[in-house]
Amino acid sequence: MPLLRKAALSLFVWIVVLLVSFPLIWMVITSVKPQTELFRIPPTWLPETVTFEHYWTLLSETPFLLYFRNSVILSTATTIFVVALATLGAYSLVRFRYRGRETLAMLVLFTYLLPSVVLIIPLYLMMVSLGLSNTLISLVLAYTTFALPYALWLMRSFMEGVPPDLEAAAMVDGASRMGAFRDIIFPQLLPGIISTALFTFILAWNEYLYALVLVNSDSSRPLTTGVMSMLISAFNIEWSLLMAASVMMSVPLIIIFAFLQSYLTSGFGGGAVKG
Amino acid sequence: MADIELRNVRKAFINFVALEDLNLRIEDGEFVALLGPSGCGKSTTLRMLAGLEFPTDGEIRIGGKVVNDVAPGKRDIAMVFQSYALYPHMTVAQNIAYPLKKRGVDKAERDRKVERAAALLHLEPLLSRKPKQLSGGQQQRVALGRALVREPEVFLLDEPLSNLDAKLRSYMRIELIELHRQLGKTMVYVTHDQLEAMTMAHRIAVMNGGKLQQFDTPDAIYNRPANLFVADFIGTPSMNLMEGSLSGSNFTVGGQSVTIDRSRLKPETTDGAAVLGVRPEDIMLGDGTIDAVVELVENTGHEKIVALAVKGCDRILARAPSGSAITVGEAVKIGFDQTKTHLFEKDGEGRRLNLDQDHNSLP
Repeated sequence: MPLLRKAALSLFVWIVVLLVSFPLIWMVITSVKPQTELFRIPPTWLPETVTFEHYWTLLSETPFLLYFRNSVILSTATTIFVVALATLGAYSLVRFRYRGRETLAMLVLFTYLLPSVVLIIPLYLMMVSLGLSNTLISLVLAYTTFALPYALWLMRSFMEGVPPDLEAAAMVDGASRMGAFRDIIFPQLLPGIISTALFTFILAWNEYLYALVLVNSDSSRPLTTGVMSMLISAFNIEWSLLMAASVMMSVPLIIIFAFLQSYLTSGFGGGAVKG
Repeated sequence: MADIELRNVRKAFINFVALEDLNLRIEDGEFVALLGPSGCGKSTTLRMLAGLEFPTDGEIRIGGKVVNDVAPGKRDIAMVFQSYALYPHMTVAQNIAYPLKKRGVDKAERDRKVERAAALLHLEPLLSRKPKQLSGGQQQRVALGRALVREPEVFLLDEPLSNLDAKLRSYMRIELIELHRQLGKTMVYVTHDQLEAMTMAHRIAVMNGGKLQQFDTPDAIYNRPANLFVADFIGTPSMNLMEGSLSGSNFTVGGQSVTIDRSRLKPETTDGAAVLGVRPEDIMLGDGTIDAVVELVENTGHEKIVALAVKGCDRILARAPSGSAITVGEAVKIGFDQTKTHLFEKDGEGRRLNLDQDHNSLP
């Protein structure tokens, strides 16, 4: 009975979807419930009164916006830094022949052989001696060290997909090397650049451990550690505020995904070069 | 004016030498083919002319000017790539206009020139399409259009027809000859296909192993190959090469001997081991002194290719008219057209020993 099978499959899929999305839904619901409704037994599924007071409290009475700003600066700076380095690095690895090229590419991956917990103390000491402790820059540098190797290899494989003839043709047509890169190579790499940027941005946005160790002043704390230290203490967890903060933390990622998803899946060009 | 000159050009990469002491002079307006098997250095030569590779040693001149250190875009050249290398994110019109844009030609002028190039190559209906929406032949024409739109003095073509099917290839061959006649510009054409080289080029530079073997007209390359490599490489089926020994005016192969016209050989030719070359069409079936047995007959329709077993040498191929009655297993006497045999050194570079090689051959 095909109809029955179809129904069973649908049911199964929906159960999985609900299981996965339940925490998210519960997070949103909790964030708009008044404090009094939070721990009621049995719990209310939909809030009896919807309130945005927790959001308001977060925005007006806590340094949430400061943390948010820090996170935005931090993630954006890391993304720009990593994407620029990875793109140029991949270009070099793929287009030029020089001694130690492969070794260099392999060495970059060395970071991943060690657990980050092992790297974090030396990194902290380095930042202190550089006079960068407690700054956003120290976090940008730290995130770059673990985002760059992956980004470089990702960009390298995208770069390998761009035929060298395209660039040669552009140079014969009168472009400089950088001109050829900008006019011809860059548009071919765009899907790769967008995936790399997304990967890096999400990594930097969600990072917790390095932020916890390297930064301990409110002025440069990102959202992850900021919200934690602000709302979770040994004796009390501010659930309503925590959920409201979590919702607001997720919004930028959702927006970015919504906009860039089409770029990620489509990927244009290709197929113009035969042979 | 755009003659091309390569003087003692050498190109070494990290682990191998691609070109060894290349000397080549291409006249203004000439159509020259660089022909050779893959890895012979022909593409490297073309890329050096384009400025995409730089010579390790030597000098490259275009139109009398040394261009060793001149960037590709600053040379008055255009190139058509084997892969066409069309810019995938641009339309056909934008592709063709790109070289003009890079040279600061204004929009109105650009549009006019793109239109003219499109008309010449019958591309008008395709101008707003993207490359991936085109067939191989259309992509090829766009690549040509992009090359000729800015009217360069020199065209460099890197196996431009090798990705097309046989029918389209022979059509484009004629188109290219016609195009060269119209434009009158210098063209350098890289190919591994001897048919393309023989039919299109004024002169052919045959290359092998990074060395120039012979640079001459198609006629001379075919009839007076400078060495064993050229003799073997040019012609389908290729020339029959028989190792044997020369003694006076006798050449002995596997115990049988043929008479050689000693006056056609260079005076310094010494007796001893040598290689006799005879083209399949210069073998006379049933008219000669050499014993052979017919092993195989291939009927191509307009002729028959006859494979013969002769004692002491590899299989020999001969051409026969399609009507000739030859049967497999038959024993025949064969002879060679005396005026068209070729004799080569057995050792060293396998140089041609016939006298006629001296006039207008290696530069």
